[in-house]
Formats: sequence, structure tokens, C-alpha cells
Amino acid sequence: MTPNYEAVVGLEIHVQLNCETKMFCSCPNRPGDEPNRNVCPICLWLPGNLPRFSMEALEKATLACLALNCQIQKESAFDQKVYYYPDLPKGYQLSQFHRPLARNGWLDFARDDGTRQRIRIHKIHMEEDVARLVHEKEGRTTVSLVDFNRAGTPLVEIVTEPDMRGPADAMEFLRSLRIQLRYSECSQCSMEQGTMRVDANVSIRLRGSDALNAKVEIKNMNSIRHVGDAIAFEIDRQIACVKAGEPVITHTRLWDPDARITSPMRGKFDGPCVPDPSVPRILVEDEWLQGMIGRMPEMPGVKAERFMSRYQLTREEALQMSSERDVSRYFEDVLKQKAPARLAAQWIGTQLLPLLKEREETLENAALSPNRFAELLIMIEREEINANAARDVLRRLLESTASAGEIVEQCGYRQVSEAGELAALVDRVLAQNPSAVENFRKGVAKAMGFLMGQAMQASGGKANPRVLKDLMTEKLSSYST
Amino acid sequence: MYSEVFAHFDSSAPAPSNGGILAGKRVAVQSLVGVRGWPAAAGPKALRGFVPLEDASVVRRLKEEGALLVGNTAASELGLGICGDCTARAVQEGHADIVLMLDTMGEARMAAAKAGLCGFKPSWGRVSRFGLLGLAPSMECCSLLARNPNDLAQAFRTIEGMDDCDPSMVAVGEARDRPGNGSPSKDLTAGIVTPLLEALSPQERNAFSRAIANLQDAGVTIREVTFKDQGLFSVVHQVIASVEASSSCGKYDGVRFGHRAQGAKNWNEMYLETRRESFSSLLKAFLFQGAYFQFENYPAFENACRIRARLVQENRKLFESLDLMLLPMQSTLHDANQARTLEQLYNAFPFTLLANVTGQPALSLPSVFKCGGQDMGLQVLGPFLGDEELLSWAQTLMVQGEEAA
Repeated sequence: MTPNYEAVVGLEIHVQLNCETKMFCSCPNRPGDEPNRNVCPICLWLPGNLPRFSMEALEKATLACLALNCQIQKESAFDQKVYYYPDLPKGYQLSQFHRPLARNGWLDFARDDGTRQRIRIHKIHMEEDVARLVHEKEGRTTVSLVDFNRAGTPLVEIVTEPDMRGPADAMEFLRSLRIQLRYSECSQCSMEQGTMRVDANVSIRLRGSDALNAKVEIKNMNSIRHVGDAIAFEIDRQIACVKAGEPVITHTRLWDPDARITSPMRGKFDGPCVPDPSVPRILVEDEWLQGMIGRMPEMPGVKAERFMSRYQLTREEALQMSSERDVSRYFEDVLKQKAPARLAAQWIGTQLLPLLKEREETLENAALSPNRFAELLIMIEREEINANAARDVLRRLLESTASAGEIVEQCGYRQVSEAGELAALVDRVLAQNPSAVENFRKGVAKAMGFLMGQAMQASGGKANPRVLKDLMTEKLSSYST
Repeated sequence: MYSEVFAHFDSSAPAPSNGGILAGKRVAVQSLVGVRGWPAAAGPKALRGFVPLEDASVVRRLKEEGALLVGNTAASELGLGICGDCTARAVQEGHADIVLMLDTMGEARMAAAKAGLCGFKPSWGRVSRFGLLGLAPSMECCSLLARNPNDLAQAFRTIEGMDDCDPSMVAVGEARDRPGNGSPSKDLTAGIVTPLLEALSPQERNAFSRAIANLQDAGVTIREVTFKDQGLFSVVHQVIASVEASSSCGKYDGVRFGHRAQGAKNWNEMYLETRRESFSSLLKAFLFQGAYFQFENYPAFENACRIRARLVQENRKLFESLDLMLLPMQSTLHDANQARTLEQLYNAFPFTLLANVTGQPALSLPSVFKCGGQDMGLQVLGPFLGDEELLSWAQTLMVQGEEAA
């Protein structure tokens, strides 16, 4: 970006709540089922029906608001957002326009340089989703099909203040937001699966100015990376516009992920919002709200701090162990079995999670209980097996019900640490590789790695690498003198 | 005459064998009150072919109390006005003892007055709206017509009360805090809103005064009361009801049910054609007006809502020292049967839409107020949620009024 300009970015984020039912009827909240399976007279809005607001939707929405440090409003209400489109059975969308569920929240994230940035949340409101339209060709005729499975499913819309200054801010904010919301267990928040949808409002101004200039809304990004790319493109486009002497006009653009550009879309008609006479006002009582606050878990920021101070994890380890609720739960369960903390964090982060991902399993459904995993970690800690062997044992733990100890015994993974045995092995390897020894004496550092590899191979992978290396260093230095 | 009155007549319906407080009563419903399996065909073209999948809650309760559902009646378009509505005739001509009919600006009471019957619009929120095919949710109420107040009271007791299908209802406990509620005093105090009587002809005004004087002679205390903005009832009703109608007619798009225009090239054209064909010019005018306030003049709608809240408050305040309010039902200057434009419509219901705006219960009683030999119908309004008291006084008023007349 040209140093003279800075970007002003605000986001509007739609999050699909993971409720059992739709927002105003008891149809299952499963938009992906076979088309028009999850429908009833209410969500099809056949004449004579009335919305029946779901308590679960209010609970999940409240959790989302609490996770983003918002003030829950004592009184909120639904409005009719009027526009006519076949995806909208009522001819209006029930949404909290005038009186949202929550206001004045915030969320922090860390910038690359380590500074903390606070993004203010303007408001969070509940609304129902619309149906899905499919346009197809039947021969030469275009047909429009409507799938009402999604109609009436519960959403919250999160509107931020224009506090972000570029694509990196927006991406970091979204990652942080996703972690917070997943923690509160109100949504999966997957942009790829459409449970989180992000629109970005972008404008530019001269650096140092506090003006809010004409903004452009961009839509259709389906990953956090796309959000960043689209914002970056849009900032450059607006600067080019201004430099060419063209004004930036408020409008909406669509991100094209293949061409990696935004292009203008037909202006969406912004309809009026009329108070709905059929959905009762929502009055939040203190006692109920306290109950909801009680349901909130320790949030990731707090948890990471605790992991650092209590378990002496590095910041990076603590962030990784706290970024998902099930990971943090698993981590602490493993520690309860007396496994060493840092080793546990490292092995969960670098070995177990990638392995589960490769096997398309999760901590929840994998066969590896915390105590079986802890036993493995303790064996590593006691140097009863080395890291190579431990990785094999980990795979076998996921495939069987045997304990780590049993696998180590059965497969002979127990580490050889006995110095006499290893010394003989080192002597043999050095004798078999005179040219490498010669190289080492000439100062070729790589030669040491090669010889270590040969020795480890000769031990069948069971040598204690620390003892082996000590012996190797000792022998080689005696050669060189 | 069945074919004129009824859209659907169920001659084969067996009399329910279980007892219940309505056992033996024949009940008909306006075809805008949904009955499972009975086509709602008498309404606008928009509803053609639409068959409710469930009974309206009021219908379910009638059946549970032993009522015999005889059929549904030809209705005005989505309950706006009474042109072409045959619901009252079902009782008048002896096909039914009780009928259910929507009341959005006074239609049910007006139809009762014109047929010499008793009509009752309950308080908003006391009768479930589930299954009603109306226009203006905050104005309309499922209402009752019968020959005598006793049948009204029994039918009301059957259909009223909280319903899981309509979360917008009002719990009666909430409003039972009015002084004097629950123990109707023997001496009735009734208010007259004199400025509203200007909508009557001079002859009718005199006749109304005589009817009131007769009630006074029979022991009713009469007090003159005024609203600060009584002239605004009509405009408030028109703005809010038309906005709500515009919203509630959004569903008539031809996508999921009802009429769909043929030959359209794309959905947008299908949508526009369907709606063009679906509504009469009267309803279209109403919908256009609502859309105007929604899209072009929202501040006027907000003002109307504010004024409505003030009128409701004023009304509640007046009823702190009143048991009833007495108003005419109609004037011969503007006949509701002939109202075919919005202006004619609002001119024809100047006395009744007040209760739709405030949500209070209102009765139309025959035989008490007559002018030039014609029964004009007397309107009696009770305090919000004071439906039972109002019904219990209806009998007294009719007897007193008839004797005096």
C-alpha cells in the first residue's frame, strides 16, 4: 500500500448457531440434508402460522455474545426486514434490527509484532437464515429451485466497528473470533462449510485522518485467506481509483476467488425494518443471564496465561494447547496422569494432532485415552524409548487397545542406554566408515550426522540418542588427537 | 341458500359424541379461520387451492368442547371489510348457532349489527391467532357472532386462553390489576365519547342520545369522556394495519402454495404476475399504502405507533373510572356493505376500529339503539382483558335497553 493511505475495515459476520432446531419452529437445523426434508408449515410460512421462538437459539446466541464480551440487552425484539425474493418465504426476514440482543463488545488479537489490538464489536443480533436457491437449465429453459431446509435456521450477525487497518488485522481478528466462538460451543464457525460468512466493509483515507470515507462492501469470500486477499485487492483498487481522480462510490462487490479480483454486483435493495407483531419481546432476566455466564468456559486467552504460569509452557505451546476447547481438555487430562507438561504439549501439538488429522479422527472419537497417551509420554521422559520409537508406538496406540508399555515390550522398542553395549556399537560403525571419520577430522560437520545415522540404524532404532551422541563425540575426539 | 353462504358445507359431519359445554351447538367459521382439510377457497385468488394442514387453535378447542362444525363461509378478501362476506348469514338463516369471523376494523361486529345479531370481539391476545388467515396481526382478532350473549360467552370461554402455537398471547394474570376488576359493581358507569358522534347524521345522533337516556333511566351512570387525539384513531389504524397487511401478504408469492400465474419466463415475472392476479384493487390499494409507509415514509409509521401507544394509555386511564364505553355501531351515511374503496371503507367503520387500535374487547348488541325503525346496533366496549365482565353486562344492557325502548 502507498504509505500515504491507510485502510479502514469493518466486518459483518454471520454465524450459524449449532442448535438442534430452527429458530422459529422445531424442524431439525440440518441445512445439508436432502432438499426440502426439514420443512414444516411454519418455516414454509403457510397461511395461518406463527413463529415460535426457540429458547435454545436465545441460549446459543447469548453464549456467542458473552464470548465476545458484549453487553446483553435487557430487552430486545425482532423486526421484519422486508424484501421480496423466492428464498424468503415470508417476504421478510425476522431479524433484530432496531433492538439487538447485545451491544458494545470487544475482542483482542495479537499482531505479528506481538502488540495487542482491540477490535470493538458494535452489536450482535439474531436472525433467521433464508432458503437456498439453485438455478438450473432444463433443456433450454432456466428453472429456479428452492431448498427450504436452511430457511429459518438460527444465525447471529456480528457487526464490528471499523477498527481494522488492513487484511492482516481482519484475518487475525477472524481467527481469534473463531476460537472464541468455538469455545463457547455455539457454532462450528467454518467458512469453508458456510457456518461462518464474512462481509467486509472497506474504505481508505489519508494516513493521520480520522475521516470515514465512502465504503465498499465485499462479499463471497469462503475462507479467512480469501477475506484477506479480497480486502488487499479492494484497498489497492480504491487507491488506484483515487489516484486516477475517480471518486470511490458506496456499492457492493463480489470476490472472485479464481480471478482473485472483486467486481461490482447489482445493488441489493435495502428494505425497511418493521417491528414484528408476532414474536414477543425478549426480556433477559438477571438470574437467567447469570446462569448463562456460569455456562461459559475459561476462555482461551485466560487459559493460555494459566498454561504458561502453571505448566511453564512457552507462549506458542500455550496458545496451541488452548486454541480449541477439546485440545485443552485433553491436554489437562493427560497431565492429570502425571505426564510432564511441556513434553505433553509438544507431543500433542507436533505428533498427535497431525496424526489424527491424517487419519481423519478427532480427540473425541480417537481410541487414545489420556492415560494411554500419558504412559507413552512418561516412557519418553524416562528415556525408556527414543523419539523415533515413540512415534511408531503412537501409531500402534491408535490402532489397538494395548498399553504403551505392552507395545514397547512386544515390538522391542525399549531404548538401549547401556554405555558398554553402545560403545561397542560405535566402535563398529567408526571402523566400517573410515572415510566419514576422515571427513570429520577435516572439519566436515555433516560427517557427524551421517555417523550418528549409521549407528542408530545399526541399533535398530533403539539406541538412546543422547548417550550415543556422547559416546560418538568422545570416540571421534580421541581419533582426532 | 347453502351454496351462497357456505364455501364448504359438511353435511355428513357426525355430531360429536363427547359432551362439552358446546355439545349440540352448530358452529360455522368464516373461511379465513383454518379447518384442516377444508379449502380456504372463499378468500382471494391468492388462497385458491390452499387447504389448511391443521385446525386453527380456536377450531380445535370448539371441537374438543363438543361443537358441531357445519362448514366455512364465503368471506371478504382476507377479512378486509364485509363486502361479499356471508358469515353472519349462517346464523341469521339458521344454519348455525355460532359463527367465528375475523375482526380487523370492526367487520365481525358490523356484520352482526347488520344481521340483528350479537357480535363480540375479544381483547387482543386472549384468543389464539394460530390458523387465522388474516391481514393485520396486531389489529385483528377472531370474533364471535350469535343470537344471544349467552352463546357468545360460552363460545368465548371455549376458544380463549393461552396456546403454545401463539406465543404472542397475553396472560390474563398480567392485567388483572385494574381496580375493581373481577367484582362487577351493580352500578354501571358508562362513558360516551361525544366528539366521535359527529360521524352520525343529526337524526341518528338524536336517536343515540335517546338510547343512552333510556339506559340512564334504567340505572346506568353516564359520563362524557374525551380522548386527546380521538380524531387520529382512524389514521393510526390505517397506517399500521396497511403496513402489517403489506408484510403479511409477502407470503402470497406463488412459490409454495395457492395461486401461481402461468407462462412467466422467470421467477421475478412469475412473482409479479401472481400478485397482480391474486388481489382485488381494494386490497392492492391497501397493500400499496402499507408499502408506501414501509419503504417511503417510515417516520409516519413510527409516529402512528407512538400515537397508538398514547391512545392505548389514555384508554386504560379512562377505564380506571369507567366500566364500559358506549358507541354507535354504524351510520347510514356510509354503508359498510357498499365500501369498495379505502376511503369508503374507513368512512364506514369510524366507531369500531377504536377497539382494534386499543385491543380492548367490544360487543355489538341489537335492539338497544334504533333509528327510524332500523336497528343500528349499540357498541359496548370493555376494559382491556375485561372480556368476561363485558359479556356478563351484555345481557343486562340488552334487557334494560329493550325494556326502555
